[in-house]
Amino acid sequence: MIGEISHFLSFLSGLIFLAVFLLSIPMYSSSSSLQRFVPNIFFVAVLSLFLSFSLFVYLALADDFSMRYIASHSNTNLPGFYKVSSIWSAHEGSLFLWIVFLGLWGIIFWLFYNSKEDLYVETLGIISLILFLFLAFLLLVSSPFERLLPISPFEGNDINPVLQDPALAIHPPMLYLGYVGFIIAFAFNSAYLIKQDFTEYPVARIKNFSLIAWAFLTLGITLGSWWAYYELGWGGYWFWDPVENVALMPWLAATALVHMLFVSNQSKSIKAWTIFLSLLVFALSLFGAFIVRSGIIDSVHSFANDPTRGLYLLLISSVIVSIPLFYYLRFLPNLFSQQSIKVLSKEYFISLNNVLFLTGIFIIFLGVLYPLFMEFFFDDRISVGAPYYNLLFAPLAFVAASTMVLSTESLWSRPNSLQEILRGSLIASIASSIVTVIIALLTDTFAWWFLGGLFFSLLIFFKYLQSVIISYLDQTKVNVASMIAHFGFGMLIMTISLNAALSSEKTFSMKTGSSAIFADYNFTFDNLSKLSKSNHDVLEATFIFEDDKNKFLLKPQKRKYFTRGEITTESAIKIFPLHDVYITIGEQQTSGSWIVNVQLNYYTRWIWVAAVIMTLGILLSMRKKKYV
Amino acid sequence: MKEHRKKRLIRALSIVLVSALGVGTILYALNSNLDYFFTPSEMLMNDESKNISSSRRVKLGGMVKENSFSINGSIISFEITDFKETILVSYEGLLPDLFKEGKGIVVLGKMHNEVFYAEEVFAKHDENYMPPNLDLDSS
Repeated sequence: MIGEISHFLSFLSGLIFLAVFLLSIPMYSSSSSLQRFVPNIFFVAVLSLFLSFSLFVYLALADDFSMRYIASHSNTNLPGFYKVSSIWSAHEGSLFLWIVFLGLWGIIFWLFYNSKEDLYVETLGIISLILFLFLAFLLLVSSPFERLLPISPFEGNDINPVLQDPALAIHPPMLYLGYVGFIIAFAFNSAYLIKQDFTEYPVARIKNFSLIAWAFLTLGITLGSWWAYYELGWGGYWFWDPVENVALMPWLAATALVHMLFVSNQSKSIKAWTIFLSLLVFALSLFGAFIVRSGIIDSVHSFANDPTRGLYLLLISSVIVSIPLFYYLRFLPNLFSQQSIKVLSKEYFISLNNVLFLTGIFIIFLGVLYPLFMEFFFDDRISVGAPYYNLLFAPLAFVAASTMVLSTESLWSRPNSLQEILRGSLIASIASSIVTVIIALLTDTFAWWFLGGLFFSLLIFFKYLQSVIISYLDQTKVNVASMIAHFGFGMLIMTISLNAALSSEKTFSMKTGSSAIFADYNFTFDNLSKLSKSNHDVLEATFIFEDDKNKFLLKPQKRKYFTRGEITTESAIKIFPLHDVYITIGEQQTSGSWIVNVQLNYYTRWIWVAAVIMTLGILLSMRKKKYV
Repeated sequence: MKEHRKKRLIRALSIVLVSALGVGTILYALNSNLDYFFTPSEMLMNDESKNISSSRRVKLGGMVKENSFSINGSIISFEITDFKETILVSYEGLLPDLFKEGKGIVVLGKMHNEVFYAEEVFAKHDENYMPPNLDLDSS
């Protein structure tokens, strides 16, 4: 019964969203009495959607295995936390959550946007249209509400064991909150375009929504990276997997967009960029949803493959994106301001920054789609590996870093002399060159990407240090938020470079009792023990590690899960301030010895810290009205 | 030519030039980092036509042949088959959890003197995974 109520409430909210959209259309030509009316209906629709989802969560907690979806993805043995997270462990439920978050952002807009300002009802209308289309998709082709009647199973099929993990339980919600949060920028800008009143561009009103969405997206990606590092047993933090790539594309677009949101009141010429990026971020989020859910690409992340779903998603996404895109292209000449951008002005650098971000997106887009293209037209099966992305992203990050540093010297709306701009960064350049050479000599590493990574990250540090000192002496203010965010970016370049240059790994074949040497560590395979847990058996190996100063134990495991019979590898990690000792065990050989993989991973954790620092900077900038 | 036209022309040309250069670089990088996917038969037959040289990294997919798995020191070797041709694979490192004789597998690496030296071994997180084109061939 509760399942049917939940189903009905979703259906109902879909209909009400459609009504909200239809009622909002007259608002584009004249303000009508509907203005007060529409937001209330919108609230009812979202309420109905939330109730529907709450009931679904209740069903999952109550182990109602007559619901097909819950029966296939949950289990009575699971702790309550994972019973809830099993909802977003597969296509239907995660789409449901995605839609609920769309509604959540809608209600946040409803609450915090001043309802007396214009574009309020129009934006709600477009949000409602998107919600209607996705609810239709959920109910028609991806329903999580199907029943297994009359005979329902006593026990559920369980969640995939690699997903039974706290980081992974919160990784998808975080990521979705980020993706979906850009619906506000998208809907607002669409409404602005469709209304065709280009006198004023009040994008600052929706700035904070996008900044918060950016924070969620960044933290969501970081959590995924952290999870992959300790759970998959490969010891890497980024694999250029197609699904990671489709998350990185909206992130790049979103990062370009958040830069724009601060400067839109500074400079009119930036308007066309801002609108374009607002549309692009959400379009790329939809593209990501399509790639993941259509099964078109083979990936660790992809959900069960169903081409019809892909087709529906493609259709919905095209409808959603093509409407504002049509208006954008049609009114593009009206959007540009008359005066052109002055050479080496702040706007100049910011436009350059956008070009760099778009290049990054293009590189990934090509890498993701090229194999599909080749397979479809030439029947050639190819894949694009990490070397392609690494080769191109390293120089791209370096150019971005130098643009960033140079732009700090430039001024708004006037031409600046190249000489003066270069002179302003001279001290920082010399300082970072010296430090780069010292570090390269100390580590005995001279790869171009390593030297570049060090130089450009140090350039950012020294440049901002210089700004802080000057502003202290002159008693002027600095933009702390921007400084923190950009410091985080510099730290990201530095930690990624150091990680790639210094980390190492080796594979051993060891029997219990035997010892081996890796880097400074002398380690012994001490013993092997069997344990039983509520839903899996554990084979745990104990290793004793020793170097001059430390002695510690590491206990990597192999687990066998009962319900699905799946075997997983659990890494064991000893964390030091700058590096991790990371160990996993593999197969047992016929001779009785085991394959053991040991890694020294340098600065991996600091890569995530850098991402968190960037997020902190962005969140701090919410207070700011203007870009300094 | 009028001064402003000249200026615009130079600007337009430099934009075109820079974009062409950028796109060219990207395509070049893409082309030199593509990993082609082959089944063992394709790998042995098309040696020349698909220009598989020992310097080119490729993906090889098929089934792990029964009773072919062995370990010597930390060097793992096994055979990949598509039920027509079989290739010996040598690998040093950890195997994925779903690696099993008789199951589908994809390895990434280089062919050298009839032996495929794998840098990475992938088994999919799906027990029913079949490498592309193999399900048709074997039935």
